[in-house]
Amino acid sequence: MPKIREMMKRQQVLADFGDFAIRSEDFDAVLAEACRLVAKALGTDRAKVLEIQEERQQLFVRAGVGWAKDVVGHVHLSMTEASSETYSINAGEPVVSQDITKEDRFIIPAFMKEAGVVALVNVPILVPGRRPYGVLQVDATGPRTFGDDEIQFLRTYATILGPVIDRLRKVDRLHASEERFRRIVETVQDYAIFTTDAEDRIDNWFPGAEAVFGWTADEAVGQLGSITFTPEDRAAGEDKQEIEIARRDGYAANIRWHLRKDERRIFIEGAVWALLDEGGTARGFVKVGQDVTQRKRAETALRESEERLRSAVEVGQLGLWDWNVITGEVHWSDEHFRMEGYDVGEVTPSYEAWSSRIHPEDRARTEAALHQAMERQEEFVHEFRVVHPDHSVHWLSGRGKFDHDAAGRPVRMVGAVVETTDRREWEERQQILVKELQHRTFNLMGMVRSMADATIRSSVDLKDFRTKFRDRIEALARAQRLLSQLRDDDRVTFGDLIQAELDAAGALDASRPRVTLEGPHDVPLRSGTVQTFAMALHELTTNAVKYGALSQPGAHLAVRWRVEDGANGEPWLHVDWRESGVTMPPDGQAPGGTGQGRTLIEKALPYQLQAETTYVMAADGIHCSIALPVSNRSPLESHDASHQSPDPYR
Amino acid sequence: MPLTNRRILIVEDEYMLAQDLQLELEEAGAIVIGPEASVPSALSRIEQEDRIDAVILDVNLGGQFAFPVADALTARHIPFIFASGYEDDVVKSRYPDVVNCAKPFVARQLLHSLENVLP
Repeated sequence: MPKIREMMKRQQVLADFGDFAIRSEDFDAVLAEACRLVAKALGTDRAKVLEIQEERQQLFVRAGVGWAKDVVGHVHLSMTEASSETYSINAGEPVVSQDITKEDRFIIPAFMKEAGVVALVNVPILVPGRRPYGVLQVDATGPRTFGDDEIQFLRTYATILGPVIDRLRKVDRLHASEERFRRIVETVQDYAIFTTDAEDRIDNWFPGAEAVFGWTADEAVGQLGSITFTPEDRAAGEDKQEIEIARRDGYAANIRWHLRKDERRIFIEGAVWALLDEGGTARGFVKVGQDVTQRKRAETALRESEERLRSAVEVGQLGLWDWNVITGEVHWSDEHFRMEGYDVGEVTPSYEAWSSRIHPEDRARTEAALHQAMERQEEFVHEFRVVHPDHSVHWLSGRGKFDHDAAGRPVRMVGAVVETTDRREWEERQQILVKELQHRTFNLMGMVRSMADATIRSSVDLKDFRTKFRDRIEALARAQRLLSQLRDDDRVTFGDLIQAELDAAGALDASRPRVTLEGPHDVPLRSGTVQTFAMALHELTTNAVKYGALSQPGAHLAVRWRVEDGANGEPWLHVDWRESGVTMPPDGQAPGGTGQGRTLIEKALPYQLQAETTYVMAADGIHCSIALPVSNRSPLESHDASHQSPDPYR
Repeated sequence: MPLTNRRILIVEDEYMLAQDLQLELEEAGAIVIGPEASVPSALSRIEQEDRIDAVILDVNLGGQFAFPVADALTARHIPFIFASGYEDDVVKSRYPDVVNCAKPFVARQLLHSLENVLP
């Protein structure tokens, strides 16, 4: 029963191959075994598998038995030639050639003739979907017939081979893909990549993870993923929470400080993804993260530096701007908003937001200065006014610089601005004071001239003039000294004035109490009245020293004063100058020197200071009263009214 | 003399300067009206007088600008000159055509300026 034995043998071959194919995942080994078994089953020495390489329109001898080493894995046959193999593939049927020398259906490749092949059979191998994979070819070096049963066997064999090849090729591709993936993962050094199992125990630890965290794969695998967390985060349960979020949502962000093997802290920006099984349950996790410690530190340093700058800018009350000339985008510091009269963030900073706040009188000039700086590549230095929504006017001093590109076009402008309103006001006040000083100087010169004229008229000779004139100049100087010692809006008080005058006359000698002074010391005088008032008191004092209470041993001078509200509510100072016990010259003979003083009191004070005065020569001495409006401010109270008045001393 | 019997109002808050001015003007033959020391008194004087030929006006009257007086004079077409202790931009910008005699006055210059503004 040779036929039965043959069949049994072929059945055995099929079983052996099937067994081998199931156990092996090595594609080439399986193909080689397939060739070996089929050659053995058919009793030929040679068999081979040719694989279609479509992109090259070639058949490649992928595996074989009985063939030289330079054939298997080397020889390519063009599919454009009319070979038996191509013929078979195109036909989709086995093709048998009993004697290739007599063959006229196709050309036999040279290497086959050289190898002494005489007969052959080609069976196409189809993978699922009836796509051709290639050809199983059995060759004989002697004339050989292939019976139907052998052809059927080969067809069966090729039919089994197809799915096996298909599976192995998929496995191969999967391996190649896994290999590629592994290589990628292992090449990455900047990212820590590792996987954990369902219980978050590390099962893959790639070189990037080692580079970032410091542990080797041997040290890390088997540990919990929590080892990369800081003790504080572990204590707070952050590690478990993260895994649970990933388990629930499929993903969890992982952006926090982590711990390295050497306990150094690193800031990781990363995430953890759940790896799901078919049922949707997490069978593990993959964690990917980047060490951004340097960037984080740089950011922190930058933020701190910015905060320092901001503090400096705030302390210095600097407004900053940064203008992108190309896009028109402008950045302002908070102070700049305030300087322009905006709430911080109230408007989007822009050239227009800036220019619209400039005082209409300054706008054209300021914009021209800016454009000149832009065009001539000069520094912008300009002082201008801005008007706030509450109509208040503020002086700003700006300083900025343009950046230009290679073509000389302005691209950016950075600058700073400070408010100079106070300085400006101070300067303006200085100017007013300087003018006032001029005014007072000229007035004083006029007064000295008038005084000289009047003194000349009342003097008997030059010696007399000299005494009187020096006296008056000194009185004038005393009044000026009191005024010059004042700060800003201080006031000379009546107490100061009367004391300075009597003191200069030597009348306040404590050992000779001839003078009574009674009244509040700090009655503030209007500064504009001081000079004339002082001259009037001087004339009274001089007169008393020469002819009155201060010239006679038994006489007495009492100066009493008080402040009362006048008719229109403004305070008036009432001074009562009363000499007593004075032996007066006989009737009709006026005491010497009274002329000028009397004119001053009776004429000049009412004229110039709106004073109300009386001047009486009583039997025992002069009695004079002077009432005049005084300042309604306390002597030290500072209240600036100088802007309404051309004369801040009034 | 050009000032003879001319009615000249003096508005000056310093008594002695006003006295001096009065003396100078009277010596030049003028009839002096005033002097007045404040804005209100100057305004009421201008109101009362039938005829004023010219005015010497101090810019600073007891701490007030004399502009209301200047405006009243301009409205009545009464010529005036300023007497001022200082060169003031405000005065110059408001009354560019009015002569400003700086203090202390040189009598001759003041009288000359006054003669020039007389109608």
